[in-house]
Amino acid sequence: MVRSLSQRYPTSFRLVASVVLCALALAVTFVLTPLDDSKLAGGAAMSIVILGLSWLIGWSGQVSLGNAGFMAIGAYTTAIWANHHTTSPIIWSLFLSTVLGGVSGLVLALPATRLRGPYLAGMTLAFSFAVAPLAIDSRSLTGGSGGLFINFLNAPSWFANLFSGSDALVKANAQWPADVAIVVAAVAFFFMANLFRSRTGRALRLVRDNEVAAELVGVNLQRTRTLAFVISAAYAGLGGSMMTLLSGSVTPQTYGLTLSILLLTLMVLGGIGTLSGAVIGGLIYSYSDNIVSVVNKVTGVNPTSTFGANLKGIVFGVLLILTMMLAPRGLVGLGSYLRRLVRR
Amino acid sequence: MIRVENLSVSYGAVTALRDVTFEAPTGKITTVIGANGAGKTTLLRTISGLVKPRQGSIRLGEFDLVGTATEDIARRGVAHVPEGRGVIEELTVEENLRLGALASKVDLAEGIARQFTQFPALESRRRNYAATLSGGERQMLAMARALIARPSVLLLDEPSLGLAPQVTADMMRTISELCTSEDLTVILVEQNAKSALRIAHDAVVLHIGRVAAFGTAGEVAADESLRRYYLGLVT
Repeated sequence: MVRSLSQRYPTSFRLVASVVLCALALAVTFVLTPLDDSKLAGGAAMSIVILGLSWLIGWSGQVSLGNAGFMAIGAYTTAIWANHHTTSPIIWSLFLSTVLGGVSGLVLALPATRLRGPYLAGMTLAFSFAVAPLAIDSRSLTGGSGGLFINFLNAPSWFANLFSGSDALVKANAQWPADVAIVVAAVAFFFMANLFRSRTGRALRLVRDNEVAAELVGVNLQRTRTLAFVISAAYAGLGGSMMTLLSGSVTPQTYGLTLSILLLTLMVLGGIGTLSGAVIGGLIYSYSDNIVSVVNKVTGVNPTSTFGANLKGIVFGVLLILTMMLAPRGLVGLGSYLRRLVRR
Repeated sequence: MIRVENLSVSYGAVTALRDVTFEAPTGKITTVIGANGAGKTTLLRTISGLVKPRQGSIRLGEFDLVGTATEDIARRGVAHVPEGRGVIEELTVEENLRLGALASKVDLAEGIARQFTQFPALESRRRNYAATLSGGERQMLAMARALIARPSVLLLDEPSLGLAPQVTADMMRTISELCTSEDLTVILVEQNAKSALRIAHDAVVLHIGRVAAFGTAGEVAADESLRRYYLGLVT
């Protein structure tokens, strides 16, 4: 069952909510340490990708294991563009990466949306596998296995002026990427909140739940599924672009199958098909190292041992199983689970 | 008006409809009756494009619907309420209604208001999930959803399925009123021949894929052998 607050309120409400939540998140970055700021930035970028995947899986019922591939397309687009146009505002990088993500989504969707369930997953899986070798082989464009590097995001002077003290510029430069990521994520979330409520959103849900009924009210199944796929890929492209801007680099190894599966895991942990689920998924990503180090401390596992090195995967696996058992709707749905438990 | 001519449909080696010919005039109810497996549902599914026929034509006015995509047939004003109703349980009544207008340009607010006037029982439940509706209410919701896009043809597949006799009678009266007030071409598929014949103008009796009889509802209802052999109605 996919429902969210966004369905019951008008666009103006969603706009106000987005602005207020965005302002709150920005305020928080002024309080956090630079390390936490950078984690938050990564989480914000990741939440955009998770939201796109959540829309695809939760609203259209199509499973994609290829969204890391679309992220790679966004990430490389940004790196290549930024290296050729060093003075170009980052909005262009973000825009181009989103569009190219969407276009590559369209190319893959044309055959993919004819497939169902495991066959669709298999095709997107193949795409996930293909991206890293392609990037490594296209050395002249992508820098091969070494990847590409770009300039870090530096705070503009008006932003640096908000800080005082001798290390004002250092502080501003550490915080600026986080604030950019939060604003970009807020825009992406606002757009998606509207999409959830739009004609397309309703059509998509009808296609997922009852194909025959959808056709009978005049919905074109193929076109609707393709659109869902393209939007999901565009979100992945935007998130990938953000990742490059934040880290100042892009390497092919980052965007393999592991990331695609991590995206799925984070989406399920947060809650499928909801805005808040994507935010939670992003936050879990940001603080996954903290979670693992707590587990390390509690269990006394040596982090340098083989077991310790793989602890992250184990922790995520256990978390995923627990979520499926206790809160199938993700951490978002945990609240209603607890309420039921109390009432029993 | 819908004119079906020499329509044949097969599922692989099995022939579901063979040379079916009849006409459903505007502003009237044409009921299609017959036993299980007679091809009633296949006939409706073929008209709305969900099943492709082997041969024959289905004319809506001058336009041949055969070979047209289902969603385009729907956009041309053919509304199909499938067997089992197809309401989405996890959406509210109003959200279900909005789905009906997805592909049309009708004024949504006005359309919803119109359907609530037509089906007052739905208005009081507009914010309830469809999962909480009774069988009769679900059928009304399914019909309202089909009518919201202002179709000219309404295909109803066993609206009385699983409904109590009194509810069925109310439902049939509503269908009859709608047909007149909206000037619809209604094709009503029913197992419940007795109630269908009561409100229909014309009747098609299907028997293992063939038209066993086609005439006015009165003629069909009065024909003793039809009643006995095909309709299971014993006087």
